[in-house]
Amino acid sequence: MPRLAPTDAPALACRGIERSFGGLKALKGVDLEVRPGEIFGLVGPNGSGKTTMVNVITGFYPPNAGRVALFGDDITGLAPHAITRRGIARTFQNLALFKGMSVLDNILVGRHIHMHPSVLGTLFYWVAAVREETAHRTVVEEIIEFMQLQEIRHEPVEVVPLGLQKRVELARALAAEPRVLILDEPMAGMNQEEKEYIARFILDARDERGVSVLVIEHHMDVVMAICDRVLVLNYGETIAAGPPAEAMASPKVIEAYLGHSAARRQLRAVS
Amino acid sequence: MFYRQAGIRYTSYPAERQLWPLGIERVLMGLILALALIAPALLSPLLLSSYLLPWVIWSIAALGLNLLMGGAGQIHLGYAAVMAIGAYSATHAARAGLPFELSLLVAGLASAVIGVIFGAAALRIRGLYLAIATLAMQYIVDFAIGHIPAISGGTQATVATPTPRILGIPVEGPVGGYYIALVVCIVVTLFMLNLRRTSFGRALAAIREKDYAAEILGISAFRYKLMAFWTSSFIGGVAGAILVFCYYRSVSPEQFHLETSVQLVAMVIVGGLGSVLGTFLGAALILLAPLALSALVASLASSGLPIGSDLRAHLPLVLYGALIVGFLIAEPLGLAKLYDNARKYLLVWPFRHARS
Ligand SMILES: Nc1ncnc2c1ncn2[C@@H]1O[C@H](COP(=O)(O)OP(=O)(O)OP(=O)(O)O)[C@@H](O)[C@H]1O
Ligand SMILES: [Mg+2]
Repeated sequence: MPRLAPTDAPALACRGIERSFGGLKALKGVDLEVRPGEIFGLVGPNGSGKTTMVNVITGFYPPNAGRVALFGDDITGLAPHAITRRGIARTFQNLALFKGMSVLDNILVGRHIHMHPSVLGTLFYWVAAVREETAHRTVVEEIIEFMQLQEIRHEPVEVVPLGLQKRVELARALAAEPRVLILDEPMAGMNQEEKEYIARFILDARDERGVSVLVIEHHMDVVMAICDRVLVLNYGETIAAGPPAEAMASPKVIEAYLGHSAARRQLRAVS
Repeated sequence: MFYRQAGIRYTSYPAERQLWPLGIERVLMGLILALALIAPALLSPLLLSSYLLPWVIWSIAALGLNLLMGGAGQIHLGYAAVMAIGAYSATHAARAGLPFELSLLVAGLASAVIGVIFGAAALRIRGLYLAIATLAMQYIVDFAIGHIPAISGGTQATVATPTPRILGIPVEGPVGGYYIALVVCIVVTLFMLNLRRTSFGRALAAIREKDYAAEILGISAFRYKLMAFWTSSFIGGVAGAILVFCYYRSVSPEQFHLETSVQLVAMVIVGGLGSVLGTFLGAALILLAPLALSALVASLASSGLPIGSDLRAHLPLVLYGALIVGFLIAEPLGLAKLYDNARKYLLVWPFRHARS
């Protein structure tokens, strides 16, 4: 269901984002702009501030300075649940699924903002809620099919293999029908085949559902393959931006990554 | 062989989401309901009024508490105080001439409003601190009832409850009281069962499991915790009112002290957090255990063991404590899990492989 942007404003625009934790400056004035229908990569060495950036955008850590706008609307400082209603969905670097619930119920929670939960609706399930539940179940089944989760829909989510759990979380985010989808390392810990699956899903989500995607990813091959543009962070600062091939070839980026792995090699040598 | 999933096919999503998917379970539930309806004809008046009636009423209360503890993951150590608010407001409303049905509503609303105020105060805190905040509620309500004669009718006073009238017809005796309690119990039970398949119930469960993930799916943790306190307190207030109108037939402060709150928590934990069936089992065990215990103690005392009356009075509390600790260690999911194990065993019988 492709959706046209109401204006030609960027899907997501962050200006001069700063955020510190105590004395640590995790973000030092970052600008980031995701265009409608774009797959945008946010990369950088460990601890460079990628997740913090996402937490700022989604309202978990309000920025110390800077503004965040979604399709031209200022959303800075809104609570996470309010930001979701404006049209942002995300996944977490470390899985955040609801244990004890089935895969299906987890994805159904993703429909929350489109439903009308109420005490009376629950009491009078047969007259009220059943119709709404069925309608949204139909939507969720489409997503289950899209993400190929049919086999496991009734399994408790915690018994599902890790790679599939990542997929369930992506399905849950898609169920919210966001305008902007933010994925924090959706392929962490996956083998090549699973990675390709996820890459395919991200491309399809953009092409078939018209979402704009902001993706944090360490696997450079994937970033090169699916991202239209990237932004590279290092110690909370932008060190490169643009088409992936150019950005990743910039000397600063090579230095940041090399310095990092060189430092790590040294660390490994001493420990 | 009756417990079989094989051959069950669904042709619609609502059919797949029915409360009891197995035919045998639906038959069982129908049977239990029928037995509950004709129980006054089957049981002696003594059994009805001193076992079945309190069981039904305490199950209502424990279900309300389980909504908060099992459903939304919030502990409440002052639930008896919530019931007390309902009991007193319904009694005074009825004595002022309000019809019984409306008095029940008043009870629910009064408990919900006060419960939600304490809930709101407790929202920023979790775990141990929430436990202490709800404990404070218990003591504050105890104090308020005991020290405001307009509520309690004076210190150490007992206020008689008027005979409940349904649509103006007086409902007298334990049988009438039993049917009132049963109807409320059925309504609350259906509500709790439906929680599992509606967006409201899922939102509560999401907050309980991972509040930040719930937030990013658009669920306001603040709002839903308050709703959980509201609904749970409403049920508690109604249960309190039914308890004094249909069982005690009078209301006094000592019916709702901390011991009662501990007893309710024990019912929920022993029965199984979040389980409807477990709540009924837990309530039965917690109600029956002290009776069995005092019978045992009485027989020991008569056989010459020196057991003081002081010890006797406190033994039930010791027993609740032991049951809570025992279940938390051995089977944190409570009696409901034991039932579930048996059910899974039967599902695959005569083979032995059952998942989880
Ligand atoms: N809640 C927090 N409190 C204190 N410091 C934090 C907090 N969150 C992040 N940081 C710090 O901010 C810096 C950036 O962390 P962030 O998680 O954003 O990095 P990242 O780029 O996502 O790294 P990775 O690739 O390892 O996920 C790190 O130095 C981290 O220790
Ligand atoms: Mg990160």
